[in-house]
Amino acid sequence: MNLKKYLVRALHRLQKGPGYTYKELLVWYCDNTNTHGPKRIIKEGPKKKLIWFFLTLLFASLVFWQWGILINTYLSYNVTSSLSIGFKTMKFPAVTICNANPFKYSEVKHLLKELDRLIEAALERILQPTPGNSSENTSAPLNLELWNQIPLVLIDEHDKDNPVILDIFETNQTAGGNETCSHQGSDNCTYRNFTSAAQAVTEWYILQSTSILSKVPLHERIRMGYQAEDMILACLYGAEPCNYKNFTQIYHPDHGNCYIFNWGMDEEALNSSNPGAEFGLKLILDISQQDYIPYLSSAAGARLMLHQQKSFPFLKDQGIYAMAGTETSIGVLVDELERMGYPYSDCTMNGSDVPVKNLYSQYNTSYSIQACLRSCFQNHMAEICGCGHYMFPLPEGVNYCNNEDNPGWAYCYSSLRSSIKQRQICIDSCKETCNDTQYKMTISMADWPSEASEVTLIPCFATDIDGSPLPGTGTLSNVRAGVQLRGSAASAHSALLPQIVWLLSSLGGQFGFWMGGSVLCLIEFGEIIIDSLWITIINVIGWCKGLKQRRARARYPDAPPTVSELVEAHTNLGFQHEPAAVPRDEALPPEPGTPPPNYDSLRVQPLDVLGADSDAETE
Amino acid sequence: MPGDGSITARLKRTLPVRGPQAPTLSELMRWYCLNTNTHGCRRIVVSRGRLRRLLWILLTLSAVGLILWQCAELLMNYYSASVSVTVQFQKLPFPAVTICNINPYKYSAMKEYLSELDKETKKALETFYGFSEGKSKVRRSVDEWNSTGSNFFQQIPLLKVEDFSRTATDLRSGQKRKIEGSVFHKDSSIVNSGDSNDIIGFQLCDANNSSECALYTFSSGVNAIQEWYKLHYMNIMAQIPLETKEKLSYSADDLLLTCFFDGLSCDKRHFTRFHHPLHGNCYTFNSGENGTILSTSTGGSEYGLQVVLYIDEADYNPFLVTSSGAKIIVHDQNEYPFIEDIGTEIETAAATSIGMHFTRSRKLSKPYSDCTETGADIPVENLYNKSYSLQICLHSCFQKAMVESCGCAQYAQPLPTGAEYCNYKKNPNWMYCYYRLHEKFVKEQLGCQQICKDACSFKEWALTTSIAQWPSTVSEDWMLRVLSWDKGQKLNKKLNKTDLANLMVFYKDLNERFISENPANTLVILLSNFGGQLGLWMSCSVVCVIEIVEVFFIDSLSIVMRRQWQRAKKWWNDRKRGGSGKAPQASDVERQGHDNPVCIDEDLPTFTTALRLPLPQDSPLPRTPPPNYSTLRLETAFTEQLPDTLELGQH
Repeated sequence: MNLKKYLVRALHRLQKGPGYTYKELLVWYCDNTNTHGPKRIIKEGPKKKLIWFFLTLLFASLVFWQWGILINTYLSYNVTSSLSIGFKTMKFPAVTICNANPFKYSEVKHLLKELDRLIEAALERILQPTPGNSSENTSAPLNLELWNQIPLVLIDEHDKDNPVILDIFETNQTAGGNETCSHQGSDNCTYRNFTSAAQAVTEWYILQSTSILSKVPLHERIRMGYQAEDMILACLYGAEPCNYKNFTQIYHPDHGNCYIFNWGMDEEALNSSNPGAEFGLKLILDISQQDYIPYLSSAAGARLMLHQQKSFPFLKDQGIYAMAGTETSIGVLVDELERMGYPYSDCTMNGSDVPVKNLYSQYNTSYSIQACLRSCFQNHMAEICGCGHYMFPLPEGVNYCNNEDNPGWAYCYSSLRSSIKQRQICIDSCKETCNDTQYKMTISMADWPSEASEVTLIPCFATDIDGSPLPGTGTLSNVRAGVQLRGSAASAHSALLPQIVWLLSSLGGQFGFWMGGSVLCLIEFGEIIIDSLWITIINVIGWCKGLKQRRARARYPDAPPTVSELVEAHTNLGFQHEPAAVPRDEALPPEPGTPPPNYDSLRVQPLDVLGADSDAETE
Repeated sequence: MPGDGSITARLKRTLPVRGPQAPTLSELMRWYCLNTNTHGCRRIVVSRGRLRRLLWILLTLSAVGLILWQCAELLMNYYSASVSVTVQFQKLPFPAVTICNINPYKYSAMKEYLSELDKETKKALETFYGFSEGKSKVRRSVDEWNSTGSNFFQQIPLLKVEDFSRTATDLRSGQKRKIEGSVFHKDSSIVNSGDSNDIIGFQLCDANNSSECALYTFSSGVNAIQEWYKLHYMNIMAQIPLETKEKLSYSADDLLLTCFFDGLSCDKRHFTRFHHPLHGNCYTFNSGENGTILSTSTGGSEYGLQVVLYIDEADYNPFLVTSSGAKIIVHDQNEYPFIEDIGTEIETAAATSIGMHFTRSRKLSKPYSDCTETGADIPVENLYNKSYSLQICLHSCFQKAMVESCGCAQYAQPLPTGAEYCNYKKNPNWMYCYYRLHEKFVKEQLGCQQICKDACSFKEWALTTSIAQWPSTVSEDWMLRVLSWDKGQKLNKKLNKTDLANLMVFYKDLNERFISENPANTLVILLSNFGGQLGLWMSCSVVCVIEIVEVFFIDSLSIVMRRQWQRAKKWWNDRKRGGSGKAPQASDVERQGHDNPVCIDEDLPTFTTALRLPLPQDSPLPRTPPPNYSTLRLETAFTEQLPDTLELGQH
C-alpha cells in the first residue's frame, strides 16, 4: 500500500518536473551540510565568499592528497613490529646431547680396519719422504681397492702451468690434494686442493668412511653408537632427579646417537618458571674419549644444542661444544619471533606450501628452514647422482651412496656441493617459518671436578656405571643448562586488524582536521549527488515528453502555430517551458496566482535564523 | 523616511564600513556563536537559563583546554621514533675476521732491543720478592745494581710506598724519600688490602719542573711491574720504524697452519696483513681489499672459516703478555678492528667454535637522536683510514689532544700528519704528560666524550663461543705429526699441542636481524591526530581555526578600530563645531550597522545583511524586493508572476 503510494508520488513528481533546480540544491546543501567550509561560502560577503570558496577547494584537495598518502602507506604493507620484553613462564627448551664422535671405535673397528691401515700407511709415506724404510716391510699387503677409487695425491705447484700430480704410494712431493673422479670417463676428474695435509687427510677419511658406513643398516649403526646409560651419568632437572630414560633417542648422521631431553614428542613439554641455573637442567656426561675414531673427528667433547620442541636438532649449525673436564654453564635468553604471513612477509606456517619435500618429516619433526635446505640438497643429489648422501635422510626409493654401487658419487657430490647455482635454487625455494624461537646463549666454563673433589667424585661414577674402567679426568663433562627466562623478547609483527583501524582513524583524522567532516558528510555528499541525478532524470524525462508532444502535435496539428508563437519560441528563452507547462495546466486547472510550490523555500534561503521553519514549510 | 539619502550619504562619508558587519563586539560574538562550525559555542547562545548557559560555557572551555593539552602532547612527541625489527633469511656477506697472536713480536727477534730492559726487570722482580726472603740477598743485588748504573730506573724509579706515612723507598737504591705531589691509585683504593707493605708504584715527574710529580701506586707488584715495563717498552718500540717492526712480528706463514673456508681450501693470500701497534702483525680474512667480499649462502660450521693457528708459546715476551693464545675480532670490512678493546681470546690446545648472529642497526639522525651518518660533521679528524665509529673518534680525539699538549703522539694510535711518536730521547717529559692527559680523558675533562657521537648505522655480529678439547687424545698423535709436516719445510721440530689453536667462525643461521628506527609520526599522521583531537572534543577543523582567527582577531580588531576612529572623529568634530551638530550625530552613530534598517553600504548586500533587513512581511507596503531575489528570479520561469506570488504567499 505504502509502496503504491510512493510510486504514485514518484509518478507525479516525474510528471510535474523537478521540485527544485541545481542551484537551489547546491545552496541548500552548502547551508545545511556538516562539512565546515561550504556553509561559510554562502554566509559571507562577496569578497569573503571568494576567499572561502578557494579555501574550501584547497582543503578538499589537501584531504584527498593526504588520503592518498595514507592509503598508499597502508597498501605497501609495511610491517611494524611490537617488541615486548617480559618475564613469563616458558617451555623449557629441548636439549639435545651428542658425543662429538659418532661411533665407538671398538665397535666399528672391524669395518674401518682396511681404511685405517691404508691411511696409516699413507701418513707414513707422507711423513717419511724417503721410501724403503725397514718398517714398511712389516705391514701386511694393503688392499688398494679403496685407494684406487679416490686416491690421495700430492700436487706440486712449483710450476704453475704444469702441476705435477703424484700418487702418494709412488713418490712424494709438496702440497696435499684429494682427487675425486667420475667413474664414467677418466677425463672427468677434479682435484680438490688442500693447502694442508691434515685437512686433506681428514676430508678423504670422511669421504671413505661415509661410503663404508652407509652400507651398514640403521639398527646396527645405533648399536655401534653411544648408549644413553653409558653417556648420561647424572641428570637433575630443577630439584628433581632424572635419568637417561627421560631422554629420547634419535640417530643423527653426524654424531651418531643423540639424546633429546624434553622433546615434547610423546609427553607434555616441561615448563620453567624460575630463572637461574639452579632450576635448569644439570647433566654429567661421559664422552669416553679413548673410544674415539682417531681420524674422523679431531675435536673431543660433548655436543649440545637447545632447540624448540618437536624440531630436528641441526647440531652443525647451532650446536655448541662442552669440553671434557670442565663445567659448562649455559644461560639462555629466549627470543620468540612471530612473523606475519602474506602479504607482509613470505613465511610459512608448517611448510606445506614449500615446493621442497621435507625429508625430516620422517622424524615427525616440524618444518624449519635448515630442514628445508638440507632436504633440497638431498633431493638434488638423488636426482643428479642417483643416490642420497649419508648425512641427510633418504627420499623414497633412493639408497645411500657407496663406492660399490655408485662409483662416481664423490665427484658428483663435491661438484654439487660447491655449485653456487644449486645453493641459490634452494635458498629461493625455502621459506622461513612464521613462528621462530631463538635461544641466545651465554656460555661460561670452569674447571671440573676441582682437584679436591676429584678424588671422591670419580670413584662415585665408577660404581654408577657398574664396574667399567674408571673414566679418566679428561672424559667427564659437566653441563648445567640453566635457562634464564629473564628476557623473553618477543618481536612480533602487529596483527592485520589494527592496521585497518589505524588507516580508518588516520583517514578520519585528516578529514576532520581540514574540513571537520566525517563519514556522515560523505553520505550527505552522496545524497546530494543522487538528488542532482534525480533532477537530471526528471528533466530529461520532461524534455523527452515535451519533444514527443511537440512531434505529436506536429503530426496532428489541432491548430497550426501562429506566427507570433513561432517567433516567441525563437526569441524568448523562457518560452520553451510553455509546452511543458501545458499538460500540467490541463491536469490541474491553473489557478492564477498560485505560487510554484517551492517558492517559499527559495525566499527563505537567506533567512538563516528562520531556516528551521522554512525547512518545515517546504517539506 | 524623508532624510534617507542625506543620512546614508553622511554615513558613507564618516563611516566607510568594510569587513565585519556587526557593529559591536557583543553582536559579533553572538553572530559568531550562531554561525560557527564548532559545537558548543552555539549551545551557549541558544540555551535558556543562566545555569544551563554556565554549564555550556564550562563544557566548551574544558573542551578547549583538553584540545590544547592533547595537541601539545602530540607536538612534543612528534620527534619520537619507533623501533622495528625485521628478521630475514638471506645470503649474508661474511664479515672480516682479524686474527692476532696475543704476543706482538717474536721474543727471540726482539732480544737486541729489549735485552737491557729485561735484565733490569728481572732484577727488580728479584729484589721485590727478595725482601721477605733474606737481607743478605737483597743487599747483594742492590750492590750489583748500584755498580751497573741503569738508566731505566733512573728515568722512572720503582718505589715501595709506606702507606699514609707518605714516604717511599726506592727499590733500587733503598733510599727513602718523601712523596710530594699527588698520589694516584691505579687499583681501586677500596679493594686495597690495607697491608701497607704491598703497595708499590712509580713516580712520574715533569721534566721541566721537577717539583711536580705524580706517584702511581698499585696494590700488587705484578701490575706495577707490568705497567712499568709497558711504559719502557712503548718507549723503545716508538723508535723502531714500521718496516722493521713488521719483520720482527709473525708472518702469515708463521701464524696460519691450515685454512678452510666454505668447503674450500684457502691460504695466506686470502689474508691481509695489518699492523697493530700493540698486537704486532694481525691478519684479516676477507678484508675486501681486492674488491670482493665473500659471502655465505649456507650456515653451519662446515661452511664457515676454519683455521689452525700456530701460537709459538716459547717465543713469548714473559713480561709483556702473561696469557697465551690468539685474539680474534669479527668486524665489518670498513671498520677498524679495535682488537685491544673488543677482541675475543682463543685458547690453545682447544677448538673454539664461534657461531655468529648478524644484526644490522640503523638509528635516525637529527632531530630524532644525536648520531652521525658519516662522521663528517664532527670536528675531530679521523686518523684511521676506516669508516667512522665512536671508538675511532675517541681515539683520534685523544691523540689530537696528546699532540697538542705533549708535542708527540702516543704509540698505540695512528700518527696525525706532521707528528711523531713519543720517545724519551726527544720528549723526555711525555710519560708524565701522557698520564696526566689520560686521567683527564677518563674523567671526561678533555671533552672528547662530548664531541664524539654515535654512528647512526652499525653492524654487529653476536658471537656464541664454545670450546672443545682439540686434538682429542686418540687423534693427537697423527694430527700433530701431519701438522708438523705441513709446517715442516721451515720447522724441524714436532709441534706441541699447546702451540696450536683451532678456530671455527661460522654463521649459526642466515637470519639477518635488522633493527631500524622509523619516525613514529610523519606530518600526515600528526595532522590526522590533530584532526582527531579537534574533532573529538569540539568537532572543529582548520576551517574553525580560520573562523576563529577571522572573527576574534580581524573582525574584533576592526570593530575596535572603527570605534576608536569614530570616537576620535567625534571628538574632532565637537571641537570644530563647538557643540552645534552634536545631537544628530550621536544618534547616527548608534543607529549605524545592522540595527539601522536603512544603513546600506556600498557593497552588495549579502545574506547576512539581508538577514538583518526588515523582512518584506514586516513592511506591507510594496517596496523593491530583497536584492538577492533578482538573481534567483532570473532562473525561474515565473518572472511575471513574482509580485503576485509575494502577496499571495502572505494571504
